Amino acid sequence: MTFSLLHATDFADRLLYKVIPPLKAGMIVLADRYAFTAFARDATRGVDRQWVRELYSFAVRPDLSLYFRVPIDVSVDRLLARRIKLKFYEAGMDLGWSTNPVESFRQFQGKVLDEYDQIVQEFGMEVIDARCSITQQQRLVRAVIAQHLQVSRVEITDDEPV
Amino acid sequence: MTSPSDTPSEGANGSGQAGRYYGRGIPYLPIGDYPGKLIAIEGTDGVGRSTQIQLLREWLEVKGYGVVETGWTRSPLMQPTIEIAKSSNTLNKLTFVLLYATDFADRLEKEIIPALRAGFVVLSDRYIFTALARAGVRGVDRLWLRNLYGFAIAPHMMFYLNIDVKTLIGRVLESRGMDFWESGMDLKHGDDIYDSFRAYQNRLLKEYSSMADEFHFRVVDARRSVDRIQDELRKNVAAFLEPPEKPAEPILPR
Repeated sequence: MTFSLLHATDFADRLLYKVIPPLKAGMIVLADRYAFTAFARDATRGVDRQWVRELYSFAVRPDLSLYFRVPIDVSVDRLLARRIKLKFYEAGMDLGWSTNPVESFRQFQGKVLDEYDQIVQEFGMEVIDARCSITQQQRLVRAVIAQHLQVSRVEITDDEPV
Repeated sequence: MTSPSDTPSEGANGSGQAGRYYGRGIPYLPIGDYPGKLIAIEGTDGVGRSTQIQLLREWLEVKGYGVVETGWTRSPLMQPTIEIAKSSNTLNKLTFVLLYATDFADRLEKEIIPALRAGFVVLSDRYIFTALARAGVRGVDRLWLRNLYGFAIAPHMMFYLNIDVKTLIGRVLESRGMDFWESGMDLKHGDDIYDSFRAYQNRLLKEYSSMADEFHFRVVDARRSVDRIQDELRKNVAAFLEPPEKPAEPILPR
């Protein structure tokens, strides 16, 4: 519970200072993770699903949300290739499911991914296949966003010199 | 942000069963019929809660009860953070509420529930109603607040030390003086701490009394002397903890 509430506090702080002001100014805000992360992670830790959703009811509903889906094996391989030490909470070590960080990560994040699959349906997120190459994914993301911006007729002002 | 298929939720409400979660609770921490009792004492800043709790504690301990005290923002996890946050100018009404809720969650999991399980009488100096009142005055959505605190346990006894602003002002000025937060200076009603204190506490007291009906508080007149108040608390607590024994059933001849 305290894990969940501390993250919600941090989220509320960033929402009010970093997200809402630029939205008011008509800017595009890119959020690296959003409330969905909390829904998935907190539910996996045994917090009530509906309670977490109500907790975050103060959040702004995103105009577009993307989910980069990847199988747990790919996720583990990528992380282990990049750095050896998995973070304690990221590996769900606090749950005591396994004393081996990699095994704990696999179990915990595997369950988190299952939660995400439900959340994607529930909130109608756009799924990006994250097994693809970075370039392929980026092209896909750009296509989805371009389409969305056209449909929603967002006023795009480009003050940057070309 | 909630999903479109939402059903009305269950949060903290007046029909909570004593000793059980108000709402959905904490799924990974199911609670049963614990032998301990949770007694909460609510009331605004400077009304004399701490004094009453200290006296109640001594009395209960002399009677042989194990007593655990818990109080607002006293969790080892959150106290330093809350102090830092209060001293900076970056707190907003949401983060304020959520920091308090985190502190409460920590004390609930680490102090209150274990003590109830072990059969202690838990004396809570303030409970979730202080959070509901303070946030309510600051314009936070009341339903959202009640849902947030749906993980709280409904107390077995809930006393509310009721006072009027005039008496309160006298009492606070005689003891430690008016403080920034207790005067609601963050609401920026003006620079005058006296006026701000009076306006803010007036609104807080209204919030508390609206909850007195909603949550069935036992209202105690806190304008009286310390001893009179303590007598009333003790009478009520004794009646609850030690109900008069039923007359013995006559033993029927076989």
